Amino acid sequence: MSLKKSSWLIDYAIAKPRTISWIMVILTFLLISLATLPSLWPVAFPALNGLKVDTDPENMLSKDEPVRVFHNAAKKEFSLSDIVVVGIVNTEHKEGVFNPQSLTRIYELTNYAKTLQWSEGDEEHGVVEVDIIAPSVVDNIEQGGEGIVNFSWLMPEPPTSQEEAIAIRDRALHIPFLNGTMVSEDGKAMAIYLPLVSKHDSYEVREKLLEFTSQWDKGDQVHITGLPVAEDTFGVEMFVQMAISAPLAMLVIFGLLWFFFRNLTLVISPMIVAMVSALSTMALLIITGNTIHIMSSMIPIFIMPIAVLDSVHILSEFFDRYPAIKDRRKTIIEVMKHLFMPMLFTTITTIAGFASLALTPIPPVQVFGVFVAIGVLLAWFWTVVFIPAYVMLMPEEKLEGFGHSASDEDDSSFLSRVLHRLGKWTYDHAKTVLGITLLCVGVSAYGISKIQINDNPIKWFNQEHPIRIADKVLNDHFGGTYIAYLEYKADEKGQSLDEYSSSLKQRLETWKQEVIADEYANVESVFSQAMGMITKTKGTTVDEYLLKLQEQVNEKMDAASDEDYDTWSELALFLDAEDQRHQVFKQPEVLRYLSALQEYLLQTGIVGKVNALPDIIKTVHRELFLGKQEQFRIPDSANAVAQTLVTYQNSHRPQDLWHFVTPDYKKTNLMLQLNSGDNIDMEKVIAAVEDFEKNNPPPMNLKSEWFGLTYINVIWQNKMVQGMLKSFMGSFLIVLLMMIFLFRSLWLGLLSMIPLTVTVGLIYGVIGFIGKDYDMPVAVLSALSLGLAIDYAIHFLARSREARNKTGNWKEAVDEVFGEPARAISRNLIILGAGFLPLLAAPLVPYQTVGVFIAAILICAGVATLLILPAAMTLLENRLFKGA
Amino acid sequence: MKLLMIFLLSLLSLGTASAADLTTDEIVNRANLATYYQGKDGVAKVKMTITDSQDRKRERKLTILRRDEPDTDDLENGAYRGNQKFYVYFSRPADVNKMVFMVWKNLEKDDDRWLYLPALDLVKRIAASDKRTSFVGSDFFYEDVSGRDIDEDEHELVETTDKYYVIKNTPKDPASVEFAYFKMYIHKKTFIPVQVEFYDSQDKKYRVARALKVDTIQGYPTVTKSSMESLQTGSKTVMEYTSVKYDTGLPDNIFTERYLRKAPRKYLK
Repeated sequence: MSLKKSSWLIDYAIAKPRTISWIMVILTFLLISLATLPSLWPVAFPALNGLKVDTDPENMLSKDEPVRVFHNAAKKEFSLSDIVVVGIVNTEHKEGVFNPQSLTRIYELTNYAKTLQWSEGDEEHGVVEVDIIAPSVVDNIEQGGEGIVNFSWLMPEPPTSQEEAIAIRDRALHIPFLNGTMVSEDGKAMAIYLPLVSKHDSYEVREKLLEFTSQWDKGDQVHITGLPVAEDTFGVEMFVQMAISAPLAMLVIFGLLWFFFRNLTLVISPMIVAMVSALSTMALLIITGNTIHIMSSMIPIFIMPIAVLDSVHILSEFFDRYPAIKDRRKTIIEVMKHLFMPMLFTTITTIAGFASLALTPIPPVQVFGVFVAIGVLLAWFWTVVFIPAYVMLMPEEKLEGFGHSASDEDDSSFLSRVLHRLGKWTYDHAKTVLGITLLCVGVSAYGISKIQINDNPIKWFNQEHPIRIADKVLNDHFGGTYIAYLEYKADEKGQSLDEYSSSLKQRLETWKQEVIADEYANVESVFSQAMGMITKTKGTTVDEYLLKLQEQVNEKMDAASDEDYDTWSELALFLDAEDQRHQVFKQPEVLRYLSALQEYLLQTGIVGKVNALPDIIKTVHRELFLGKQEQFRIPDSANAVAQTLVTYQNSHRPQDLWHFVTPDYKKTNLMLQLNSGDNIDMEKVIAAVEDFEKNNPPPMNLKSEWFGLTYINVIWQNKMVQGMLKSFMGSFLIVLLMMIFLFRSLWLGLLSMIPLTVTVGLIYGVIGFIGKDYDMPVAVLSALSLGLAIDYAIHFLARSREARNKTGNWKEAVDEVFGEPARAISRNLIILGAGFLPLLAAPLVPYQTVGVFIAAILICAGVATLLILPAAMTLLENRLFKGA
Repeated sequence: MKLLMIFLLSLLSLGTASAADLTTDEIVNRANLATYYQGKDGVAKVKMTITDSQDRKRERKLTILRRDEPDTDDLENGAYRGNQKFYVYFSRPADVNKMVFMVWKNLEKDDDRWLYLPALDLVKRIAASDKRTSFVGSDFFYEDVSGRDIDEDEHELVETTDKYYVIKNTPKDPASVEFAYFKMYIHKKTFIPVQVEFYDSQDKKYRVARALKVDTIQGYPTVTKSSMESLQTGSKTVMEYTSVKYDTGLPDNIFTERYLRKAPRKYLK
């Protein structure tokens, strides 16, 4: 039915091939112009959307996602920036970088890093100078002689002797928040931390640092890493990949097409369709204001095989039929009549597969799914109209000698011979085939059960990439370069006001005894007035209540006689201290709890280091008490903690404290350094914290919440995996229904799903077995396999049924089916499978993954189609083809 | 004595209004005197408010006692200059109540500094190696509170406006400080530096002090509200001075270690 309705389209294409070609060229050119003009001259075309690149994995979550909102709010609250980590390692000097020359370089590098700022419009960009962590800009706290505590820059200037260099190292190793963070625990390497105004500044900063250090001799190796660097670098290399991989894949496909069809002019046509589809889709993506993201950058690579797929079916059949018909018009009409419906259905199923990604909760994946679907639709359209038009535009004489030569008929080529034998073999060994299939399914199921869901943006680079090497080296030396943050805050809803005021009265009693002991005047009178205030004063919150009390006491104090003044003043002090009771992160029991949690986390083996408020307090406390190790502890009162912290703030960098606690001491932040950015490891750490809290209920109703890029990656990954699974199940059902409708047969519909199911099962089974992480590209591939694998089954079953209806029995039909239809499928899988292998050469792992898996999916689906389907049809012939 | 001072001071201000021919050294000395040496001693209660870039405020209350060694405020040959002692007593927030910071500012050698932490029952000497560290977490440095010795910088009069002398001060030992130079806008009449700007080696201004309010107390033009702003962190500290008194006759013996643990209450009220 569709064929008849649509045949006018093909008829038109055949009748007016030039017009069709022009329409295609003009449309494509128009789309490309609309996308490139605003990209190249944004000012001249303000109304149009230009090219926007987005390499930020954070954008895997929508902007208003609670996790992300909290992440940004907490980052701001604790003044945290994204960080570029510069590691300096020296393997030639026996003390590593702790020698005068290396430290001089590090000193100079730090000074240089301080200057890495620039403006873009009104915005400042680059390195946040005040928050740099480097030996010349951090404080040292140590004993400065008898009873003297010394605050000074750790390395105010470069050392001139080896002894001084060692002294600098030893001082740094003695300070917990530098040991394992700035200086490696083995005392050989140094890491300097450059916070950025925006994480998108990291590529530029990295490039400049690399340039600055390029003259350093081999002794000092510079490694630059950190998530922002990885993400930004990925963005830049992504473009290189798009420019290299996609054309390279096209070239290989082109070569193979030529090898099979031996007609240069003709095989250019699928290339044109693929190019037009991919370019138009990307242009549409840009025009609609979407960004080029890690996901959307892969759109062309997904569109191209699918675009070529249909063309190969047409060319393959044309190739086989032309020698017999010897008229290009008649041949192409014949071919299109055969292929129109299967192609339409394969296209619809592919579109369903990708469009279902729009149901995932991840914006970039939605965009990816929708635009691949658009690209597939475009590819189908141009295949159906342009390939016939192209054939018509070719002079007949150019096709001379084209095709499967009629003389040596079928068994001529190696491929044909193999396929014919294969067809017979499946007929004879149907049970074996199905048995093996079941075995494969079983083994796959086991493999799938072993799948490990994991991702890590650093691992998007291959092993030899400088970023990957830097990551390895630095995580070997230091506590870890992956940062996750854990916030604790007191639960505000605590006791009621009544409870509070009665406990306040008790404490006031104690106060009374103390001031009487200190011989203050008129204590009884002041005390009874205060008790009266406590009873009478009303308030909605404890804070408000206290504020009202303080106001009243201040008034009394101002009006008091000289004699009473001191007593009132003591009462005011008492109330101020009451106020500070809510500064939970000055309370020793809370700090000890955090300290215990820190210890616990270090036992996970993933957390190399936790920097937090207790470390600062303990270190300063130790140095206040002559540097004695037993004084490395939390002092016993909140006042002692407060005074220790004031001492700490007498430094060059008092603001450092606010990275770990808010100035109201109601929220604290633990900075975890993880030696792995794998989501799976982050998840283990999250579980460890949950365990700890369960076994050790936090004091004062503390509540914890995670943030930081490493944590965010876990969140979007989980969303993606679940989303992908749902969308895959959904589209699987839709495709199944479509198949039942297409074949008007439940059994054929179910049968058509078998190659797809086996393929997906096998692919993911293998992923489970080899321990390849189920990461973002792997998840997306399930959608692709749905589209590709069903394609072969549709073609194969459609042609099988046709053949069976013609011959009346399956045994004879097998022979026909394993002729031209099987050849089309085989050519297809060889061309496309091989075509995507060049992606293996890409330095970016997601591209390699996609290359390998597209090839594997194609081969798997092809083989499954050619083996399982005929075997099943052999055994189920009666049920499948009742109307024989 | 007091009357004499007022008389001298008004003479000074009259004189300067007409005499634009003061030498740079004279301007610097007068500014130094006006900022750090007025009277033989001084007492002030200070409310310090630190406001960070996120507009979060912290308040500290403290009392500053100062006593000068020289008996004179005479500018002749820098006679006003000499060693000074500071006693800074904290009363708020409650958890730092009774904390004391004491400085003996020595012109000829490094300063002596002490910190008393009552909750830890600890008196601690602080090494004087670097005075340009934060004063109890504020944006002021210790050196801003006790005064930077004018001999540590080269001074240059770069501009004279209607109201101000603009002095550029360049450190003699650049390695000892974080700034490349600082500019002072010295008020022509009062000689109070109403604005001080610190610049880094790339000529970028990163730190600004301002005199926000000047009152004449006992005849001395006195800054009663000042601020220090860090352009790098976006943090700003305001100090408000109340109950400012000069020449109260502070005895020398209260500026000793003994009085750290037992504050001289009489002088702190």
